[in-house]
Amino acid sequence: MPTPTLTQSIVITLIQCLLVVIFVFVVVPLTVFAERKVLGHLQMRLGSTRIASGHTGLSGFLNRGMWKMGKVPVLSYWRGIPGLLADVVKLIIKEDIIPDKADRFVFFLAPSISMVAAVVVFAAISFVPGTFFTFPTWFPLVGGLPVSGGIADINVGLLWILGVATVGVYGIVLAGWSSNSKYPLLGGLRSAAQMVSYEVPLALSLLAPVVLAASLNFTEMATRMAVGMPIWALVPQVIGFLLYLTCGFAETNRLPFDMPEAENELVAGFHTEYSGMKFGLFYLAEYINMTVVSALASAFFLGGPWLLPFGLQGLLNPYLPGFLSWFGEPHAIFFVAKIIFLLFTYIWVRGTIPRYRYDQIMAVGWKYLIPLALVNLLLAAAIRCFAV
Amino acid sequence: MEHLIQTIGRNMFAIFGVMALAGAVLMIASRSAVHSVLGFLFAMLSIAGCFLSLEAEFLGMAQILVYAGGIVVLFLFVVMLVEMSKKREGEVFQLQSRYAVLTVAVGAAAFLAVFRKTIFGAASPEALVLRPDLAKGLDVAHQNAQAVSRGLFADYLLPFEILSVILLVALVGAVVLAKTERV
Repeated sequence: MPTPTLTQSIVITLIQCLLVVIFVFVVVPLTVFAERKVLGHLQMRLGSTRIASGHTGLSGFLNRGMWKMGKVPVLSYWRGIPGLLADVVKLIIKEDIIPDKADRFVFFLAPSISMVAAVVVFAAISFVPGTFFTFPTWFPLVGGLPVSGGIADINVGLLWILGVATVGVYGIVLAGWSSNSKYPLLGGLRSAAQMVSYEVPLALSLLAPVVLAASLNFTEMATRMAVGMPIWALVPQVIGFLLYLTCGFAETNRLPFDMPEAENELVAGFHTEYSGMKFGLFYLAEYINMTVVSALASAFFLGGPWLLPFGLQGLLNPYLPGFLSWFGEPHAIFFVAKIIFLLFTYIWVRGTIPRYRYDQIMAVGWKYLIPLALVNLLLAAAIRCFAV
Repeated sequence: MEHLIQTIGRNMFAIFGVMALAGAVLMIASRSAVHSVLGFLFAMLSIAGCFLSLEAEFLGMAQILVYAGGIVVLFLFVVMLVEMSKKREGEVFQLQSRYAVLTVAVGAAAFLAVFRKTIFGAASPEALVLRPDLAKGLDVAHQNAQAVSRGLFADYLLPFEILSVILLVALVGAVVLAKTERV
């Protein structure tokens, strides 16, 4: 295998970045669509069904059949997808309003910080174990070179993820300040306090897998979490998973903890004054952050990213027929499936649990989650010391 | 092309250093306190870049995590509350600036005196290793975190613990000050 020159490796990295951006722009709209649909069905309504024609084509025919049988047509899941396109077009061509007294530079900077901090996190996540694909030899400049499944598999990948994710706070705080308006400022302040306090239990809950795997590298941790863990490691992992998911909800400002934009108290919180694509960037950043939190949870708590969780692979493998043999090996499809499941959990929780009061959020974070995370870390350390 | 990229790669430290200085200048010279904090943030991130270009990934990430993620956020928090009145400073340089210049001059002289040999003297024939027996079996370039932790928790355990006690004292003192005002 030829070693790539510096130019070639930069070109390969740029291609990987492009793939990540494509992934993001496929996942985010689909999550938004799924959110509308799932929330609708959780609340006994249909979700968005507009724009697609209801009476033509196969699904129109089937739906009419279901109406005739006296049932609500559920076969029209894809309807409403054109509405997403309309949303995107609206965000892009809408007038971009900047308030008169706003600090123009910071007002412009805030959504960019949010978006960049959300996307850059993907640098340390490997989606595919080993090599993703190899360029064919006729390809100009980079022919015959392998493209690995992650952009930068640095030895402190987890710290990179945590560190860059914390920079995302600035987007929200600065947006609240630069709008020069009361409600956004309150939203920004609240979120600064909330995110800074929930970062502590988030990092502590991620330390348990670090201790168990004895590494900070994403691939190495993922591999150790998938194979060779003692059965006792399940206990700190389950507690850690619940802790991590709770803190992840708080960090991404999703519904049980969506204090920064509690709409019945603060209009729309930090992005009240934003419109057009600047608002769109905040919106994108929120969903990208959800994807990142789901990816980390599936990598470190659900039995490694590229395998079935809880060692089911070992039980299943002897019975696999030949054409399904890829199912027994590490595969990116498991990673994507876990991410999708966790994104569904996000929506599920949003439709189920009402919003906390602000003082309750802080009390839960400081009085319960942090001590629990510390105890969990101690447990993980004991298991690491005696059982591994 | 290849040559250009290699040159840029070799000079990454200088590039990030200049960026950090630019951030520091922005911090001092801007009239709005929030812009100052932004300049500080930029300088801190650039310093993390300096660490990364020296292959000290752990230190770089710790820099981002502690300074950018924690300390500067709290600065911003305070500055935002103070600046509610939106009163901007009329002058960039104020009364204290001559004392500040004096302090910086003394500090720079002391720094130069201490590090004169390091900066201008000949390079040491071998890399500085704290205790060679601790670094045994460790690939420092790829096991950054382990190397730092061995330094902290084996070589310099006592100073490290004393530092943490000092920080704890500051913490308790802050709590006491905040509480007595209310009673």
